Amino acid sequence: MDTPKKISEIQTAAVVISSIIGVGVLPLPLFAVKAGNTAAPIVTLIGITISLFALLIITKLGMTHPTKTIIGYSEEILGKWLARFCNIIVILFFALLTGLGAREFGAVVITAILRETPIEVTVIVMLLLAAITSRNDLNIFAYIHTFYLPVILSPVVIIVVLSLKNANFLYLQPLLGGDMGDMFKGSLTIAALCQWSFVLTIIIPSMLQPKRAMKACTAGLLIAGVILFMLVVASLAVFGAEETKKLLWPTLELARTTSLPGNILQRLDVVFLAVWVTAVFTTLFSGYTFTCYALTGIFRLSDHKIFSFSLLPIIFLFSMLPGNLLQMYKTIEVVGRMGLILTIVYPCLLLVIDVIRRKRGKRSAAAKT
Amino acid sequence: MSLFRKNRKKLKTSPQEQNGNEKTKLSSDLQDSITYINELLGKNDDFVYRDFYIFGSIPAYLCYFSEQANPSEINTDILKPLMYPPEHIQKNLPDESKLVDVIIKEVLYQSRVKTETKWDVLIDNLFLGDTIILIQGQDVGLQLGTRKLKERSIDEPRTELVVLGPREGFVEQLGTNIGLLRYRLPIPDLVIQTTKIGKLTKTKVAVCYIKGITNPELVKEVEDRLSKIEFDSVLDSGIIEQFIEDNPYSPFPQIQTTERPDRVVGNLIEGRVAILTQGSPFALLLPTVFSQFYQTTEDYTNRFLMGNFIRIIRVMALVFSLIFPSLYVSFIAFNPELLPTEFAVAVSGGRAGVPFPAVIEVLVIEVAMEILREATVRLPQQVGGALSIVGVLIIGQAAVEAGFASPVTVVVIALATIGSFATPVYTAAFALRMLRFPILMLAGLFGLYGVVIGAILILNHMLSLQSFGVPYMSPVSPPDKEGMKDVVVRGPLWKMKNRPGFLQAQDKNRVGAKTQELRDRRRVPGPVDEGK
Repeated sequence: MDTPKKISEIQTAAVVISSIIGVGVLPLPLFAVKAGNTAAPIVTLIGITISLFALLIITKLGMTHPTKTIIGYSEEILGKWLARFCNIIVILFFALLTGLGAREFGAVVITAILRETPIEVTVIVMLLLAAITSRNDLNIFAYIHTFYLPVILSPVVIIVVLSLKNANFLYLQPLLGGDMGDMFKGSLTIAALCQWSFVLTIIIPSMLQPKRAMKACTAGLLIAGVILFMLVVASLAVFGAEETKKLLWPTLELARTTSLPGNILQRLDVVFLAVWVTAVFTTLFSGYTFTCYALTGIFRLSDHKIFSFSLLPIIFLFSMLPGNLLQMYKTIEVVGRMGLILTIVYPCLLLVIDVIRRKRGKRSAAAKT
Repeated sequence: MSLFRKNRKKLKTSPQEQNGNEKTKLSSDLQDSITYINELLGKNDDFVYRDFYIFGSIPAYLCYFSEQANPSEINTDILKPLMYPPEHIQKNLPDESKLVDVIIKEVLYQSRVKTETKWDVLIDNLFLGDTIILIQGQDVGLQLGTRKLKERSIDEPRTELVVLGPREGFVEQLGTNIGLLRYRLPIPDLVIQTTKIGKLTKTKVAVCYIKGITNPELVKEVEDRLSKIEFDSVLDSGIIEQFIEDNPYSPFPQIQTTERPDRVVGNLIEGRVAILTQGSPFALLLPTVFSQFYQTTEDYTNRFLMGNFIRIIRVMALVFSLIFPSLYVSFIAFNPELLPTEFAVAVSGGRAGVPFPAVIEVLVIEVAMEILREATVRLPQQVGGALSIVGVLIIGQAAVEAGFASPVTVVVIALATIGSFATPVYTAAFALRMLRFPILMLAGLFGLYGVVIGAILILNHMLSLQSFGVPYMSPVSPPDKEGMKDVVVRGPLWKMKNRPGFLQAQDKNRVGAKTQELRDRRRVPGPVDEGK
């Protein structure tokens, strides 16, 4: 019997949400507050708007080429060799991003739960999980993202709701303020946290109705954006701008300040972190799958499975590049912002060239007749 | 490999086929046929045959297997009318060309009569209890359905008990089982097609579905997979299950087995296919999704709230049985700070005398529990009671007193084990019990992190499974609106208007308009209101 082999809009939205909400959520309020002090919510909003713009561009590109992934249509637009060169850089960037994401979460885990475990072990476990799962096809990729969505969303909502008890809304004022340049840089960093949604470029061709991708992507990004925004507001309201700057993972601290009524468990942060493994997994899974499928596209292979394990050592190597936690966050910020060139400017260029070529094509076709 | 090849050679030279190759069609010479059949079967003590004269003049031969057929029926309904035919025939004997026709239409008191010209079909049916009559001068044999096998009476199903609901279970005889289905579904659209599978056992396997509801592609796929089974023995439906399931290496059952006719009928109506096997009281239901494994027929026959309450309890028990021990280990060994202080003190007090790490302690008790469980199943019932007392005393009391395990550990393992017994489908409960061990190991290595990693691995595997083209975790993912009404909590019967979408049934509607009306009104007017 035929399965519903295609990805629906709800599933696409779920992929966007669960790809974006990942390990980046933990230091997010810190990034926002560092850039804009009490204007952190505004910074977050600008960041989300930027990433919405980026997402709309890749969705538009995908909708005009509904049967091709970014690998396919970029070669059509730019020509074979130039496109290949760009795509390889994009793939390298996502391999690096996946590696750094795994490293970041590994660092969180050894700080909060497993204090005596070497970081290599936690990182490799996470990467193995993504590698094993990436052997499945894109339908199952969508099933997995959809299934875990409630698990990913509920802890954030619970944390935000429970932290209202300790919130002081005076901390949120003044709404504006802070250096404009810093704020813009900060919002770029936040937009960089959302670039996991780039995985859409390989999802759209497998959609049931690629024409409806725009609605699904917008909805997905808006939901994810609301979640991120709520987190920034909550941690700012609970800790205040100055205190937040001293915390490495404000979201985790937020979880630590909350407790369940009835005193069933003494602390909640560890439980939240454990549940968060799921969120981190889906994010890494997106990055890993993108890398695998993009490579398959470049080499014109029919099966992506050979890459799922052969990529593992390379990504692991990437994840071990930064020496310590501080270096790691510097690398993540820099790499993330550089990546925006690849995930925003590159698709923009593709779109512009594509539109121009189409118009010309029409004109020349009109001239011929 | 060499072993398999030998087997195959043996099969090829089985006596039946050898003879079948020599002789395929009946000859009209009776003596010839008698020598052939006696040579083939005459050695068997339960093979009964006799020569007689039809209408007192035409030589004929009758044979059957005494334990498979019903001798009194043969004597009174077949032999007697043949030897003492109705008067009009006796006066006016039919000529040779019309003889068989006359015998079937005017003489025999038997409804199941067939003519057959092929030896192998005749002999196959002879083994199944049919009686065969060969007549001088005719190149067809008569095959009469006189089958009578001793069978168990219809009993309450042993593996799926319900409090409120039908008490009938399937038996080993395929015919009886089909009857149990037919009287619950007295419609012409219930299609039951039988095939024979198994080179040596020639087991009858029946594929049942409802025409107009079940997706024809699904039926085709099932028939296709069944037709490709070439195996020497099919002793139970479990063997068929292993050949047709999608992923034989997965711990999760992808086909549901059930003993309950009402469950089969309920699933047929939802648009599934059922496979019944001769000699097995278990029917196979497919395609299967995971949510079926914690649902029972009682959930639907009970009232809305009660049914749902019990189902939620069952889901909790299922989760308990899978991760409770590993959660305990990771709390004790890695994050005792999570527990409320008083409880943490109590736990560590209990563990003070235990020399092993928590994982080892839990593992040992778990293994002991599994051994106990298996032993209780295998032992005769009279001894079983004694064993469980010993088990409870040794595992519960003495192990704690000996400093072998802490009391909390025993409580935790007991909860998990009882939880696994609350899962209504045996095969699924088994899968979860098995998966408890790897998660436990992960908990011992990485604490809570390990438990979550293990759970994600298992869930990912389940999400990637399929049963006959239907994703295993549907209707949750991929989401299906109609199916969602019956996952953890079921909607009221009249609110589940359509059949679950993941089965791609042809006729989707379940509830009639009048019922909608009845239930949509908030207050049904009583007789007093109507009188006005």
